[in-house]
Amino acid sequence: MFTDKIELKDFDKMDPEYKDLLGRVLTIQADCEIGGPHLYVEKMLPAAPTKLDQLIVARTAAEEVDHFRKVARVAGDIGVDVSFVLNQANEKRFVDAFRGLITTWEDNAVFGFLIDRVGRYQLEEFYDCSYLPLQRILPDIVTEELGHIEYGYNKTMELLSKGDEQKERVQKAIDNWYVRALDMFGHTGSSRAERYRYWGLKRRANEQARDDYMKEVNPILEKMGLRIPDPLKGRRYM
Amino acid sequence: MPQPAHNIEKLDEHLLQVVRALHGAVKQGASHSNEPKVMDNAIQDCKEILDEIMTGNVSEWLN
Repeated sequence: MFTDKIELKDFDKMDPEYKDLLGRVLTIQADCEIGGPHLYVEKMLPAAPTKLDQLIVARTAAEEVDHFRKVARVAGDIGVDVSFVLNQANEKRFVDAFRGLITTWEDNAVFGFLIDRVGRYQLEEFYDCSYLPLQRILPDIVTEELGHIEYGYNKTMELLSKGDEQKERVQKAIDNWYVRALDMFGHTGSSRAERYRYWGLKRRANEQARDDYMKEVNPILEKMGLRIPDPLKGRRYM
Repeated sequence: MPQPAHNIEKLDEHLLQVVRALHGAVKQGASHSNEPKVMDNAIQDCKEILDEIMTGNVSEWLN
């Protein structure tokens, strides 16, 4: 296991595998940061239920653009240009959950509640990681992601208070996003994930992070009076 | 030291300005919650800024 801490000035001395994996994980992270706004800005900014919600959609997008900027900076400093993801078609996003378009307020609320939470897990993988410039940008980004999760949770609760028909619409959104959230953690036993861990770039195996996520989310869903979807149904990455 | 990506300084600066403009518009709207017209203008400003970001025309932004 690699346990050193690396600064930008040390990067050139690193093993090619380390350089490749760091460039790859930063590119995927940048794609996920900008992938969110590409999913919801077009339809949800005009269609959010109140003017204040419209402004919060814009503020959330602003924060995600800023997260992209910070990740792009860390990548750019090691010579990795991630700007191509700014105009990447949604269908070509690295992570399946960011392909498509959010067209309903239920999906937007549940996206914040479930998918931004996976985003927090992805960022937590870099806590105490071997590349210090990446570690340094995390606190502010994670704090803002927590705000997105809370907003998504509150909006989901608000929808649930509006009766059975609305509850079914929320459940449908949960059924869709829950399995996509689980897929975001990647394949169980992934050999690449093992190399990330070897180089100190990630902390947990994919399956362990997914399991931790389910242990956190499932009791919340139960408390909200929602059904926990079958964790195997519709999954693409097992 | 590694060779940085050629556009990183300009891109960073541009996006920082975009983010500041968006936060400014949101703040303007949110602090006038009893003035629908001010809020509408702020939302429209956000929409215009975000539309440009969503097109992702990086070379146009940086030249």
